[in-house]
Amino acid sequence: YLMTTMKVFRCPGRHGYAVEASPFLPNRLACAASQYYGITGSGSLFVLDQTETGVVLVRSWQWGDGLFDVAWSEANEHVLVAGGGDGSLQLWDSANQNAPLKVAKEHTQEVYSVDWSQTRAENLIASGSWDRSVKVWDQNLSRSLVTLRGHEGVVYSSIWSPHIPGCIASASGDGTLRVWDVKAAACRLAVPAHKAEILSCDWCKYDQNLVATGSVDCSVCVWDLRNVTQPVNQLLGHNYAIRRVKPAKANEALFDGNSLTLMSDLPLSPDGRFQQNIQSV
Amino acid sequence: MNRLKLISGHLSPGGSAAPLPDLRSFDCGCAAPSPGDEVVVVHGRRTAIGKAKKGSFKDTTPDELLSAVMTAVLKDVGLSPDQLGDVCVGNVLQPGAGALMARVAHFLSGFPEKVPVYTVNRQCSSGLQALLNIAGSIRSGSIQLGLACGVESMSLRSMGDPGDLSSGLSANAKARDCLIPMGVTSENVAERFGVSRRQQDSFALDSQIKAARARDSGRFDREIVPVSVTVRDESGRERRLEVRTDEGIRAGTTLEDLARLRPAFKPDGTTTAGNSSQVSDGAAAVLLGRRAAVEELGLPVLGVLRGSAVVGVPPDLMGVGPALAIPAALQQAGLKVNDIDVFEINEAFASQVCVCVCELSLGGAIALGHPLGCTGARQVVTLLNELRRRGRRAFGVVSMCIGTGMGAAAVFEFPGP
Repeated sequence: YLMTTMKVFRCPGRHGYAVEASPFLPNRLACAASQYYGITGSGSLFVLDQTETGVVLVRSWQWGDGLFDVAWSEANEHVLVAGGGDGSLQLWDSANQNAPLKVAKEHTQEVYSVDWSQTRAENLIASGSWDRSVKVWDQNLSRSLVTLRGHEGVVYSSIWSPHIPGCIASASGDGTLRVWDVKAAACRLAVPAHKAEILSCDWCKYDQNLVATGSVDCSVCVWDLRNVTQPVNQLLGHNYAIRRVKPAKANEALFDGNSLTLMSDLPLSPDGRFQQNIQSV
Repeated sequence: MNRLKLISGHLSPGGSAAPLPDLRSFDCGCAAPSPGDEVVVVHGRRTAIGKAKKGSFKDTTPDELLSAVMTAVLKDVGLSPDQLGDVCVGNVLQPGAGALMARVAHFLSGFPEKVPVYTVNRQCSSGLQALLNIAGSIRSGSIQLGLACGVESMSLRSMGDPGDLSSGLSANAKARDCLIPMGVTSENVAERFGVSRRQQDSFALDSQIKAARARDSGRFDREIVPVSVTVRDESGRERRLEVRTDEGIRAGTTLEDLARLRPAFKPDGTTTAGNSSQVSDGAAAVLLGRRAAVEELGLPVLGVLRGSAVVGVPPDLMGVGPALAIPAALQQAGLKVNDIDVFEINEAFASQVCVCVCELSLGGAIALGHPLGCTGARQVVTLLNELRRRGRRAFGVVSMCIGTGMGAAAVFEFPGP
């Protein structure tokens, strides 16, 4: 009963890697996609609008390698940043350009995660790469301002805290969740969160201390950074690796990017446990 | 990093010894070489294509045409010829497929004696075959870098002498078919596949228009090497000129002009001089290498050879060659027709290209001309330059039909800017 009409955008020959909603335009989405499941080939970036009846392509660009993540600018409604398999970050302008505004090539391996800081004063971009580093950039991608090293495996995800300025959480193939202080260029916390690779992490939107991680071990864990000896909750039930976790902004629902399972009604009860009501799409 | 390896690691949930029941990952062990071993095209140039017997190259020997492109290609990328492992030249009409001529051209180009050279004749595909031969030597590890060329002077030699053939030929239908003039095979194809005169003329017109447009917009400027030649007129007077423009293109051609031409090969036929390729002079050269060696020398990568095929077809319907060679090459490359952005199919005759039904973006041999040994190499130069002009990662196919009943095709990838 979740959705009676499903709006679909299809692009033959491309496999989606990331979708992000525009912070400015209510129905606008950006989608990063790759050829051949991102294993080889080129990539595409799509800007899409949801209409009453379906999904319309506003703009698209091609890239010579797969694109693995996209993030909208928090300063300009037309600007997006994408991360590619060639180690580059590209800045795109959906209003004008056919070619990227800027291409920054510092990472030496695939860029798997890009995130634009939501704290308005900051306007910084974070990128996580298979070269094991997280880099912080100015909004023009002139050059990286900080390179955060410490992970002992590929970085899959690097996300700004929506609450704490200058704070990034990252998830890695080394099985740790790390929290970084960008100003000090230091790692404040390294949590051995899973015994397998962690493919995704994200901050809870209503509690600045909570971070969710999704792992190849098929579990989602929620961590309270004040006490990381064990997770506050562990969500099991999937049979495959968790590709992406995204705590929603409203009504505390957790979207799991793997099999589109919508877990609704998850207020954090006083004893720290979630009430689970799992519906699968 | 090997993405496939990393991502397939995600399929086994941590801690669980057995993989999930429906999920397995296989190491394919496919024939694809590791990136460093790929055969890549570094650069290519060609001369303008001159009209045989009447055009600017009519008094130019093929070694001079060949030498112009061989030197230009290496000079452009700053590579010394002593780095070449081998040179292969496609040629059809010279005695012995031009083996001696090629070695002379080699020295005229200032190449050192220690670099070897040979020629190859697979009729109309010779220029492409030269490339495939050099690619093969690179793949087998006997050379790191090689030059693949093609040259033909149809002004100075023609398809006259068939050589010494057994009298047993007359009792063997297929053997006999090898002697059918190319134009007659075109008529056979037109008849068998129902390609009308009008369709052929339209195609020919299209070829002229596209070629004129490409030339006028400067698309060929980058690839053409100007050649200084001597031309003798009827009174024996000589003059020097620099040739830098394709001579075969007839920009003002109309359908009416084409319709007026009489069939050239069969009294009530559909193949005319206007919808056939022209007899021409020209040369082209392509520098190839093993990717690791190319990158080590700091040379650019213009294209990657992804697959190729040569197939045999009925000699009396030789025009269908590309229709069979292209799918075979695509299969070898692991690609489909829809993956290809540009097809460069030699337009021996409009009849056969109409049958092969693929798109040419720049016009081909009907407008430009078909100097036999040169064409295959020329097509590769034109194709890769066009893919580069389009500015993004793309695939292209070079293909041609071959007299005596074959087709050849090769698939190239332009990796992107």
